[in-house]
Amino acid sequence: MTESRDTVARVDAEALQREALSAIEAASTANELDELRVRYLGRSSELKLALREVRDRETGMALNAVRVAIEAAVSSRQATLERAELDRALTEDVVDVTLPGDHLPLGHLHPITQTRREIEDAFLGLGYEVRDDREVETTEYNFDKLAFDPWHPARSQRATFFLDETHVLRTETSPSQIHAMEEREPPIYMVSIGRCYRRDAIDATHYPIFHQFEGLAVDRGLTLADLKGTLLHVMRALYGPDRRVRFRTHYFPFTEPSIEPDVSCGICGGAGCRTCKHSGWLEMGGAGMVDPRVLANVGIDHEDWSGFAFGCGIERVAQLKYDFPDIRPLWDGDLRVLRQF
Amino acid sequence: MRVPVSWLRDYVPIEMPLDELATRLSISTAEIEGIERRGVSDEDGNLGLFRIGKVVEAEKHPNADRLQLCRVDVGEGEPRQIVCGAWNFGAGATVAVALPGAVLPGGLTLDQRKVRGEPSNGMILAEDEIELGADHSGIMLLPETEPGTPLADVLPLTDDVLLVESTGNRPDLLSVYGIAREVAALYDLELAPPPGVDPEPAGDEPVDIAVDDLEGCPRYIGRLFRNVTIGPSPVWLKARLHAAGMRPISNVVDATNYVMLALGNPLHAFDLTTLGGGKIIVRRARPDETIRTLDGVERKLEEADLVIADAERAVAIAGIMGGEETEIGEGTTDVLLEAANFEPTGLYRTSERLRLRTEGSNRWEKGVDPYLAEQAAKLATELIVSTAGAEWTGHVDVQGQLPERPVISFRPERADELIGLETPPGEQTRLLERLGFEARDGDVVVPTFRARDVTREVDVVEEVARFRLEEVPFTLPARREMFGALTPIQKLRRRVEDVLAGLGLAETYTPSLRAEDPDPQALTLPEPLSAELATLRTRLLPSLVEAARRNSELGAESVALFEVARVYLPAAGLPDEHTHVAGIVEGGWSRAKGIVEALYAAVQAEAVFERTSDELLHPGKAASVGSGLVGELHPSLLEGAWGVFELDLATLLAETVELRYTDVITYPPVRQDLAFAVSDDVAAGDLVAAAREAAGPELRTMRAFDVYHGDQVGAGRKSIAFAVSFQSSERTLSDEDAAALRERIVAALAEKYGAELRA
Repeated sequence: MTESRDTVARVDAEALQREALSAIEAASTANELDELRVRYLGRSSELKLALREVRDRETGMALNAVRVAIEAAVSSRQATLERAELDRALTEDVVDVTLPGDHLPLGHLHPITQTRREIEDAFLGLGYEVRDDREVETTEYNFDKLAFDPWHPARSQRATFFLDETHVLRTETSPSQIHAMEEREPPIYMVSIGRCYRRDAIDATHYPIFHQFEGLAVDRGLTLADLKGTLLHVMRALYGPDRRVRFRTHYFPFTEPSIEPDVSCGICGGAGCRTCKHSGWLEMGGAGMVDPRVLANVGIDHEDWSGFAFGCGIERVAQLKYDFPDIRPLWDGDLRVLRQF
Repeated sequence: MRVPVSWLRDYVPIEMPLDELATRLSISTAEIEGIERRGVSDEDGNLGLFRIGKVVEAEKHPNADRLQLCRVDVGEGEPRQIVCGAWNFGAGATVAVALPGAVLPGGLTLDQRKVRGEPSNGMILAEDEIELGADHSGIMLLPETEPGTPLADVLPLTDDVLLVESTGNRPDLLSVYGIAREVAALYDLELAPPPGVDPEPAGDEPVDIAVDDLEGCPRYIGRLFRNVTIGPSPVWLKARLHAAGMRPISNVVDATNYVMLALGNPLHAFDLTTLGGGKIIVRRARPDETIRTLDGVERKLEEADLVIADAERAVAIAGIMGGEETEIGEGTTDVLLEAANFEPTGLYRTSERLRLRTEGSNRWEKGVDPYLAEQAAKLATELIVSTAGAEWTGHVDVQGQLPERPVISFRPERADELIGLETPPGEQTRLLERLGFEARDGDVVVPTFRARDVTREVDVVEEVARFRLEEVPFTLPARREMFGALTPIQKLRRRVEDVLAGLGLAETYTPSLRAEDPDPQALTLPEPLSAELATLRTRLLPSLVEAARRNSELGAESVALFEVARVYLPAAGLPDEHTHVAGIVEGGWSRAKGIVEALYAAVQAEAVFERTSDELLHPGKAASVGSGLVGELHPSLLEGAWGVFELDLATLLAETVELRYTDVITYPPVRQDLAFAVSDDVAAGDLVAAAREAAGPELRTMRAFDVYHGDQVGAGRKSIAFAVSFQSSERTLSDEDAAALRERIVAALAEKYGAELRA
C-alpha cells in the first residue's frame, strides 16, 4: 500500500503533461508520433501505471485529464502530419492551368435578339405591354388609318412592297398602334417590336428587311414633356446613364407635333467624330404626339385623350451598341460573326 | 437645300455664330446637315490680297503665243505686270486679282515668279479659281469698280453654305427667303421685305394665256420681254447659283433659277417666237401626245398629265420640265415668262410615273403658295430687265379661286396642356406673329405660305412647341392604370431561345423573303427587289439549310443554328402568320431529337413522337411532334448527317402543362429494368404508352435505354430494355406491389403488342 502511494506521489501530473505535449508537437513523422503515443499512453507508460495504481478520486481525475489532453494532442498532430503528407504527394500531381477545360457547347443569342430584350425590358420597367403584330398588312392599317396623305411617297411601289393593291409588307411597326387602339379603350401603354420592309437597296446601313420598335401611350393629359422624359429613360436604358438626349422638330403624318430624338454620341462623348458626322449627336428615329386624325380614325376623342408615339430601328441600336460598321452580316448567318455575341 | 449665308444676309442680319444658328434651326425649323465653308480663306489677312484690278495694257507675251502680258492697276499707283493665259479681255477690263502671297481655295499659295522670262506679280482670276463658279474658259469680267477695292467688298469670296434638310410639309423652307423668315422669327430679328420690285413696264402688249384647268393650275402669270440679249449672268448672280448648287446657264434661265432659290416658286421661260400662235394653253395632255423634254428624252404623256401647250402641241410638262423646242437659246430675243402655280397631287403622280424629278417638281409636289407667283414674277422681271437688257412689254395674271387664309380657333392653354410647359398667351401670340400668323380674338389666321400645313389647332400648337422644344421638361406620365408584363408566348419565346443557346446552338436571322418556297401556293411579290427576295416563306428550314451550307463551305465546325421568326401561310385575304422556331445541327437524327426533347422538357410540355414523312426529311428518320417536325435532313439537300426541327411556338405553348409538385421524397421508389422482345415494327413509344395506361400513375418513369437485335430474339424481332421506376406518394410500395404493377404491364404489352418479357 505504501509502495503504491509512493508511485502516485512520484508522478507529477502537470510536468508529465507538459513534457508529453511538447514532445508530440515536435514529432515530425508518423513513426515518431507513434513512438511517443506508446511512451506516454501505452500499457506500460508512466501514466497508465499510475492510473492503475490510483486509489483516490481526486488523483484519478487529475491523471485522467492528463490522458485526455495527451490523446487530443496526438490526434491533432496526427491530422497535421497526414495532411502534410497528402499535400506532399499532391504537389507531384500538377496541371497546366492555362490549358482549356472540357469543351462544353455554348450557343449564342443574335445581337438583334439581345437588343430586342433590352428594349423590351426597358419598356416593361415603364409598365408597357409588348406587342408582336402581323407583318403583312392592309394599306388601310399601314397607311390610311395612320393618316398618310394619298400622295405620300411611302405609298409608292418604289418605296413599299405590295402583294396586291391593298396588301403590303408593313413599312413600319405603326399599324400596331391602330390595332392596339382598336382592341381596347385607353389608357394604352405598349411597345411593338418586329420586322418591317422597305424597298431599300442593300448597303452598309440599309437592308430591305429590318426591325423596329415603336411605342405608343394614350392616356389623359399626356404631354410632349412626357414623351421627352420617356425617350430619355429608354435611351439611357439602352446606351447608358450618362447619355444626353435632344429633340428636333420634324414631320410625320401620324404625329403632331412631331420630333426626332438624338442621343449624344458615345464614341466622342458629343465632341464630334466620324460616327456622329461631327455633330456630337446620333439620330435615333421619329416621335411625336399622336395626330388627332389618327385618334379620330380609331374613335378616340382627342379632347379627352392625348397620346405620344415613337419609333426606332433596332439594327441602328445594335450597330451603335456593338460598334459594327455594316449591318449586312446581321443577315448572313455566318458563325464567325454569330459566335462573337 | 443649299443656303449660302451671304445670300441669307440680304434678308436678315446674321450676327450669331453659325454653329449656334445651325443648332437652333435644326431643333426648331429643319435639320442642318452641315455647314460648308467655301471660297477663299479669310485667315491671316488673306482676303486683303484679293483686289479689284483695272487692266491698263494687255498684249501678247513676247515669248509665248498663248499668254498675255498685262499691266494691271490694283490701286497701288504703279500698275503690276501680270502674265495671263486668258484672252477674253483687253485693256480697260475690270478684273479680279490675287497678289503674291494669297492663298487660293485648295491651299495653293501664289508666289512672285517669272513666266517664260517675264515676271508675273499676281494672278488674274477665273471664277473657278476662287470657287465662285465652274467656268474656266476665261477670267471673270467685273462691272467697273475702283481699282484696289478689296474683292471681298464686291463678291462673296468667303462664304458658308447651310445644308438644310427640310421636311415635306414645309415647301416654304425650300427658299433662301423662307429660311431667312425662320431665322428672323427664331431670333426676333427684322426681316427684309421679299426681294423683287417691278421696273417700269416698256409697253402693254396683250399676253395670250388660257388656263383650261384651273384646278391643276390655279394661277398663271405670263410676262412678255422684248429685245432680250442672251448672255452670261453677272458674276455675283452666278456665284450665288453656284454656291446653291445650280449650274449657271444664261441670264434669262439663271434669273428663273435664282427666283426659285430665293423665293421657292419655280418659273419657266419660253422663247416666244417658238410658241405656236404665240400663245399658252394650260390643259391636260391629249391621248398619245408626246413631248421631247429639255434633257433630250422623248416622253409619252397620259391624259391625266397637266401640260403647258401652245396653239399646236405640248411645250412643257407643267411644273416638271420644259420642252426642248421652246427653250431659251443663244439667239432668243423675245421671252415669255411663266410664273404659275400648280396643284401638287396630280403633278406628283406625273413625276412619279415618268420617274422624272426636278428642282421644280420637288417644290410643286409639296404645295407652293399660289400668292407667291406675283412676287416671283416681280423678282424675275427685275433680273431679266437688268441682266439681259430686256424690255418688259406685257403682263397677264390668270387665276381661279385662290384659297382663303385658314382661320383657326386657338386656345393658348391647349398648347400648354399638350406641350407640358407653360407659355404665356402674349408670348405665344408674339411668336406666332413673327412667323407670319395673325392673332385675333381667339383665332389665328395662317399665312398663305403655311396654309397647307397649318389647318388645325394642333398644328398651331406645334408652332409654339418647336420654338420652345429645348425648354420642355423631361417628365414621365402619371400612371393610374396598366402594368407591363410579357405574354405567355413572349415568355416561351425567351425560354426557347435561352434553352437552344444553352444547348450550343447559335441564333441566326435570315430574310423572310426567299427565291422560292416548298409550298407552291406561297405568297410572292409581284415586283420584288430581286429574284432572291421574292417569296414569303412558309417554313424556316430551307433558310437554315442554306445558312448551314454556307458555314460548312467556310470551314465552320460543329455547325448548330436556330432561328425564331414568322412564316406566312397563304389564306384568303391576309396570310396566317405563325412564329416558328427551327434549328439545324450537325450530327443527324438523334441529335435533333435530343434537342427537341430537351426543349419540351424545359418548357414543361409532353412530347409525343410519331413517324411521319416530309419532303425535306430523310424518309426513315422523320417524326412529327405536337408542334412540328423533327428529323434528319434529306441527304440530297446537304452533304453529311444533319438533324433538323421546326416547331410552331403557339402550338408548343398549348402543349405546356402547369407545373405541380409531386412528392418523391416521403416514400422511396422501386427501380427495375424490364426488357421486352417485340416485332420490329413496334415502336418503343407505343410500349410506354400501353404500360402507362396499364400501370397508372405509380409508374413514374419508363425510359428505353437499349435496343437489341440478334439470335437471342430471332429474326424480325428486337429487344427493348427499359429503366422503370414505380413510386407512390401515399405509401411505401412493397415488393408485392411492384410485382403486381409489373405483371399488369407485362400482361398489357403481351396482349396489345405480343411482347415477351425477357429474363
